[in-house]
Amino acid sequence: MSVHAQLRDPTAEVASELRPRQSPLPTLEGKSVALLDIGKMRGDEFIDRLEILLNARGIATRRYKKPTNTRVAPTEIIHDIILNCHAVVMALSDCGSCTSCSTHDLFTLDGRAIPGVNVITEEFADAFEVQRRAIGFDGAAVVVPHPIQNRTRTELEGFADQFCQQILTRICSHPPSTTGAVAAGLPWRRN
Amino acid sequence: MIGSDTPADGLAVFVKKDCPTCRLIQPVIRDLSQRAGSMIVFAQDDVSAVEGIAVIDDTSLEQSFRQGIEAVPTMIRFANGREVERTFGWNRDEWQRVTGLADLGRGLPQMQPGCGSRSREPGVFEHLVARYGDPGLASRKINIGEWDDPIEAGFERGWSDGLPLVPPTDERILRMLGGTIRNPDEIVGRVPPNLAPCTVEKVAINAVMAGCKPEYLPVVLGALEAALEPIATMHGLLCTTCSGSPILVVNGPIARAIGMNSGINALGQGNRANATIGRALQLIIRNVGGGRPGELSRSTLGGPHKYTFCFAEDESDAEWTPLSVARGLTRGTNAVTLFQGDGIQAFIDQRSRSAPELARSLAMSLLAVGHPKLCEFTNAMLVLSPEHYGIFRDAGWDRVRIEAELHKAMLRPGKDLIQGAQGVGEGISPGRAEELVNKFWPEGLLIVRAGGKAGLFSAICGGWTGGRFRDQSQPVTREIRL
Repeated sequence: MSVHAQLRDPTAEVASELRPRQSPLPTLEGKSVALLDIGKMRGDEFIDRLEILLNARGIATRRYKKPTNTRVAPTEIIHDIILNCHAVVMALSDCGSCTSCSTHDLFTLDGRAIPGVNVITEEFADAFEVQRRAIGFDGAAVVVPHPIQNRTRTELEGFADQFCQQILTRICSHPPSTTGAVAAGLPWRRN
Repeated sequence: MIGSDTPADGLAVFVKKDCPTCRLIQPVIRDLSQRAGSMIVFAQDDVSAVEGIAVIDDTSLEQSFRQGIEAVPTMIRFANGREVERTFGWNRDEWQRVTGLADLGRGLPQMQPGCGSRSREPGVFEHLVARYGDPGLASRKINIGEWDDPIEAGFERGWSDGLPLVPPTDERILRMLGGTIRNPDEIVGRVPPNLAPCTVEKVAINAVMAGCKPEYLPVVLGALEAALEPIATMHGLLCTTCSGSPILVVNGPIARAIGMNSGINALGQGNRANATIGRALQLIIRNVGGGRPGELSRSTLGGPHKYTFCFAEDESDAEWTPLSVARGLTRGTNAVTLFQGDGIQAFIDQRSRSAPELARSLAMSLLAVGHPKLCEFTNAMLVLSPEHYGIFRDAGWDRVRIEAELHKAMLRPGKDLIQGAQGVGEGISPGRAEELVNKFWPEGLLIVRAGGKAGLFSAICGGWTGGRFRDQSQPVTREIRL
């Protein structure tokens, strides 16, 4: 990050300079989780599988898709999530612009009492760190392997299987654990 | 310290083109360039400042700052990397002494004063300190990215009261600190609810964000000191579920000096000093103390006065005893009074013609403070407008008389006020049924004069319920240290 301006902290500096994120929900029972596709290619395959995994745990989900990963989410999507959901999972950032924009979206929703997690690839973990520091927000992320675009669908679904529980712990302090039925195989496939 | 561009041995001359003296001595500088050996000329505004020789561009003012240039022209002689001589303005004897050369500036006047250095122009010096020097600030640096907006950063970090903040950059903080002679690291006190130590520097940072000018800083410091006196109970006032908040009244010549409003719309918007001094105190409590609404600041409803509520008393009538004087300070002392109160309740009376009539009328409205049946439960501030005050003044009533008459007019039989009386559960203790009960304790009614000349309207600010602990929570008046 190139520094544009330097300010001084007006607080007593008893806490981190990053604003704390919303606490994870105590339970997801009766709650609805927004699954926000940030608009980057292949993210939908990851989210499709994640949706199955969450639904199998009895977690209600609501799907959203940004028109582009290169801008922050449209206000309509943000408002719909605020009005209809209790937490948000956004995926899958594997580039600089999507990491930056999705982190802003995470921050915006957090400011409206929606705890969330950003799923990013390991190559952009540092970009996520820089962005959240720039906006002063202790946002949460789950880091998955990089790259994404040359993976098979099975590999992407495997990532969802592998990181689902970690994702849930970011938005819920006591998330339901995996079920045997889902762990055994993929009940859904596209065409 | 010598900058990298100044000579280890030789002369450095600082000029600016728009300085008449610098233009006058152009022949001298050209002469020196031939005779003086090593010499570097720095121009603060234009490298064509001295025709015919190479001039170093110092429009950034870095070298001027590093060499502590206060006037132009300035000539410095260095030897072995250290400054050994300096002169400024044009004085032939001095220039000849410093250069060791005779016969300088033939045909020029013997002497001519120079001009101020650009590096010392208002507002510039603090920029240069921030850029090239050591600002001496202890607070944590917060870097804002190239594509991020510093105004938004204030919101994002939770520093804002909901309105935009002036970004607290080093140059603004340094300028603000220029408003006081107190050291930046002096601890003013511990700010509730976190009881975090607050330095003068933190006060300055929050004053910057609030939009204060440096000349307001002593008032902000005075207000904070008032708030931190234990009897002010700022801790409870911040965390209360009631709507109370600090109301600041400024007395003394400083109010006029810094342009505070005590006239038309004194309690309202539009005056920078009124608006930002009150806001600065609130921001200090929010940011240093950690008093954020919804966390430990728990007012059920709050009120717009919790953004800011600060005004000056109208002291234009020499016969009137100002609030600060009534509270023990001498007339003419700069002072701030912190009253724990709510927003205003308008008092309308366009019919009363005599002082007794107006007192009875005011008493009726004052009785409604908090709840009509609650007594000695809160304090109150009455902001008396000029037209209402005029009725009292014409009758020869001074502050003491007005207060006494108001208290007298508010006496009521306890039987009408006890809990359950008049079919209303709220009220005073049933044990007081046989007493004549006053609405406020004698010291619990504060009268202040303010407002525009026209309008038979005054204002009542109900006090915070913490005031019911008579000996534990009281308004505070404090002298402002300049």
